[in-house]
Amino acid sequence: MRELLTVAGKLTPLSSKTHITYQLYIPEGINALHIEFEYGPKTLDDRDDSKQMIEEAIRKYVNPALQNVYLEHWEKFHPLQNLLTLSVDDPDGFRGSAHRHPNHQQHILSRHESSPGFFSGPIRNGVWKVTISVHCIVTQECEYQLRIREGEVDHEMASV
Amino acid sequence: MRWLPFELHTHTPHSDGTHTLFEMCMKARELGLSGIALTDHNTTSGMADAAAVTEETGISIIPGLEWTTFYGHMLTLGVPYSEWRDLGPSDIHKGINRVHEQGGIVGIAHPFSLGSPICTGCHWEYVVEDWNDIDYMEVWHETLPPMRNHNAPAFEQWTSLLNQGYRISATAGRDWHRSSEEDDLPAYTYLGLENEEGMPNTESVVNAISSGRICVSMGPRLELQVERGVNRYGIGDIVEVGTPGENGNCEMTVRVIPSHHPDRQLETDEQGLMIIIESNLGELTRYSLAEEQDEIQYSFRADGLLWMRVRLYGMLNGALSTLAFTNPVYFKEAIH
Repeated sequence: MRELLTVAGKLTPLSSKTHITYQLYIPEGINALHIEFEYGPKTLDDRDDSKQMIEEAIRKYVNPALQNVYLEHWEKFHPLQNLLTLSVDDPDGFRGSAHRHPNHQQHILSRHESSPGFFSGPIRNGVWKVTISVHCIVTQECEYQLRIREGEVDHEMASV
Repeated sequence: MRWLPFELHTHTPHSDGTHTLFEMCMKARELGLSGIALTDHNTTSGMADAAAVTEETGISIIPGLEWTTFYGHMLTLGVPYSEWRDLGPSDIHKGINRVHEQGGIVGIAHPFSLGSPICTGCHWEYVVEDWNDIDYMEVWHETLPPMRNHNAPAFEQWTSLLNQGYRISATAGRDWHRSSEEDDLPAYTYLGLENEEGMPNTESVVNAISSGRICVSMGPRLELQVERGVNRYGIGDIVEVGTPGENGNCEMTVRVIPSHHPDRQLETDEQGLMIIIESNLGELTRYSLAEEQDEIQYSFRADGLLWMRVRLYGMLNGALSTLAFTNPVYFKEAIH
């Protein structure tokens, strides 16, 4: 189980709407990639901060005639969440993405079997890209870790 | 022309949906749908199972994707993945071209949903320089769409764009992530498909949407025909009218075709059903449908008309509401 990449970073609200791309060389002879990705905290639990941000969004996005109704029920949107998603490009192009909400994810990519969101196919040697799309950071700080190892799956899937 | 009900906005575990494609298509069959568009967030990997699921459930599955970006969510239909990660808020046309060049179409999803940080990127914030590039808009979003606040401004924006002369199609989309027995009813997007037999295919679905052959409904389907002289036109067609002063007399026939699905029967009370004919000149007329009546005729002159559409109004879940609406018939002066 070779380690191929281990990185970590710290984000702030100013990191919202950015992409962080890691490019790495995947050597020959790898049958599967195992990607582990986590970030935290997931939620903004401070009620005062939360209320202020939700009210701001309601004033920005809701028809003025309905704003008061929404403002009264601001708690419906509490707690706000950080959202980071992962996508992968192999040397031939887009290889899939995992647009989902849990802040601890593990993905497998291999020739015959891949985690939902990703395409199966050979793990070609060459430069791969792994992109963290920072959709939104609502907490003052958010730390992430991304770890890519040689994986273990490469058997024929049972025929459908 | 064959009219079939579709659901055009769906998710599976390939993004953040919780039902598998098979589970969703089984449920789609129960709901009386003929097909769905699979529009997972930022990937098309879920299509790997599509042929097998279609064979087992009889539900057509059209490839799509929901571009889930920081500045808006855009549905694409009929094409594989196209790149979105390098686009800023003023670059949407560059992204749309990538879809169009491959023969696909694009639609704005839930344009007036709450945006970040409540729902990241859910509110449409891209600068649209040319609305001719937008093929369709999801003006009815989620279940019981005519009763949702964020759909009213979407419907208004669509109407305003039609008034400006753009021919943009309007659809419904449930944004289907999970299924349970307690779900409210979603709308149908009835599509007018040119292939009369066999399973609806991607090309015919894309073609029906881009041509505006669409009726959006909580149950019944509205059929509309315009006659001018010897010519007949339906939903989505462009009626060629004479230059001003020429004979612009037209006859419109509207029919209400009830849904065969048991959950989609209309509630009727003393108010009954109302057919409203509207246009760029505002509301033209309205008819109360008498019991057992399912057809009306309307004679009009085409002068000044850019578009006309029909709305069905009546009781839905105990409140008066729009039950269905057609996409427009358009009008254009003939060039001599």
